[in-house]
Amino acid sequence: MAAAVVPALRCSLLQRWPHRCGPGVRAVPGAGAALRPCSSRVAQDGINQPVIDRIIRVDHAGEYGANRIYAGQMAVLGRSSVGPVIQQMWNQEKNHLKKFNELMVAYRVRPTVLLPFWNVAGFVLGAGSALLGKKGAMACTVAVEESISEHYNNQIRTLIEEDPEKYKELLQVIKQFRDEEQEHHDIGLEHDAEATPAYSVLKTAIQLGCKAAIFLSERI
Amino acid sequence: LLVSLAVVRCQQYPPLRTLQASAALRAASDEHKKEPWASSSQQHFESPPAEHQPEEKPQGPHPSYTGQGGQESEDYESEEQLQHRILTAALEFVPEHGWTAEAIAEGAKTLGLSVAAAGLFHSDGSELILHFVSDCNTKLTELLKKEQKLVQLGEAEKKPIDEFLRDAVEARLRMLIPYIEKWPQALSVLLLPRNIPSSLSLLTSMIDDIWHYAGDQSTDFNWYTRRAVLTAIYNTTELVMMQDSSPGFEDTWRFLENRVADAMAMSNTATQVQSTGEAVVQGLMGAAVTVSNAGTCRAVTAEFLLNVSICFPNPNLENNMEKLSSFVT
Repeated sequence: MAAAVVPALRCSLLQRWPHRCGPGVRAVPGAGAALRPCSSRVAQDGINQPVIDRIIRVDHAGEYGANRIYAGQMAVLGRSSVGPVIQQMWNQEKNHLKKFNELMVAYRVRPTVLLPFWNVAGFVLGAGSALLGKKGAMACTVAVEESISEHYNNQIRTLIEEDPEKYKELLQVIKQFRDEEQEHHDIGLEHDAEATPAYSVLKTAIQLGCKAAIFLSERI
Repeated sequence: LLVSLAVVRCQQYPPLRTLQASAALRAASDEHKKEPWASSSQQHFESPPAEHQPEEKPQGPHPSYTGQGGQESEDYESEEQLQHRILTAALEFVPEHGWTAEAIAEGAKTLGLSVAAAGLFHSDGSELILHFVSDCNTKLTELLKKEQKLVQLGEAEKKPIDEFLRDAVEARLRMLIPYIEKWPQALSVLLLPRNIPSSLSLLTSMIDDIWHYAGDQSTDFNWYTRRAVLTAIYNTTELVMMQDSSPGFEDTWRFLENRVADAMAMSNTATQVQSTGEAVVQGLMGAAVTVSNAGTCRAVTAEFLLNVSICFPNPNLENNMEKLSSFVT
């Protein structure tokens, strides 16, 4: 019984926003046999639209936020010795964002409503951590990149569970980005991130914020 | 798994009415003629899209009979298709009977089914209206797709955005013309709390379709602004159309043209405001840099002069040093 309920729950969780479904009139629960007409937009080649929607939306939001974090860090530490390092990482994030912009248009995914908020919050986090010094900025980088790598890994798992063949291109992109984020994480460690005062507190707080951001961006 | 899914859903949602109604329906139809039940494929529309919708399979909570294996899935398919066919047939009678169970009953009669078929649906005609709206949206999408193909093949000019939006909204609203008398009733039904999720999702996906074919590629907050603006335009134009008695609804189309023009002007103003704001910020930054540079300039000159004056004996040295060092800080 439990085994049957779990997939049913998972199905309903994944398909909470029915307006991305295909054409057709389908029966839904309600008083009597109410039909629930759905959008006229066809699913592209039978991909699981709700899942892809979430993945691309949250990844786009993540790269957008990362961009803003690095922008904040550069605003404070741009002329210091770590400036070039941060600039290089920022450039890679800009590429990531560009790629997700393309994917978003291709899959017709809605961006998250919280983008203006992530715009400000990301910049404040970057600038704030940079004001704690170079090590502070690196600590922030380490924390964020670790969250993002874990998050990308989860997505890779999800997509592989669904259908590795169908989502080959997307999987490739996410794998490549995960590797680059991991590089950023390692660069952060190399630059004495762990020597920051209150490193573990800072790291935990930032990672908690990232988890909340991911949760919200997937849904809203 | 399908069976256990059905069992789970069965426990949540009362299927009684469907069972009884469809049983009565089948009994009645057996008397008249044998309907060839189409099987398996997920074809829902008369203008059938080529793609199938596999994601619909696990979702459709068919509140029903358990443990009937293949028989069950066939019945599930044909249940929906049957309802679809009845509703399509019922549309013909809407101008006369309104969006009501009578229209559905008449529609069922033309298919050779019993009038009890109307019992499959709500008495306020919700499903009929939602079916109609969904149908219109599909037709609009087909139309936009066709136009896009023509532009891609070079057989047509790409329209400027305001003209595109205007034409799309007009095309969609024209589909209401045969039912315009009874449309206010339909709108009020669509606003019932029970129907709001469906009607809202149909509306949003239609607006999204129009923007997509208009070439919108925004990935920031503009995505929302544009859709909100177009939704407002569509809704207000629809309401104007309800009370429009001019020949060929020309007042409505003029209203639509004006609203779209307003929206374009607003977006231009917004861009201008933004660039003005940016220019102002640039100016301020420039001024700040100039002032700080001037300050630096003075400091550098003062220090140089200070060093020079130390080298040469000077009775006014103390005074001069005081003055110069104030510039250095």
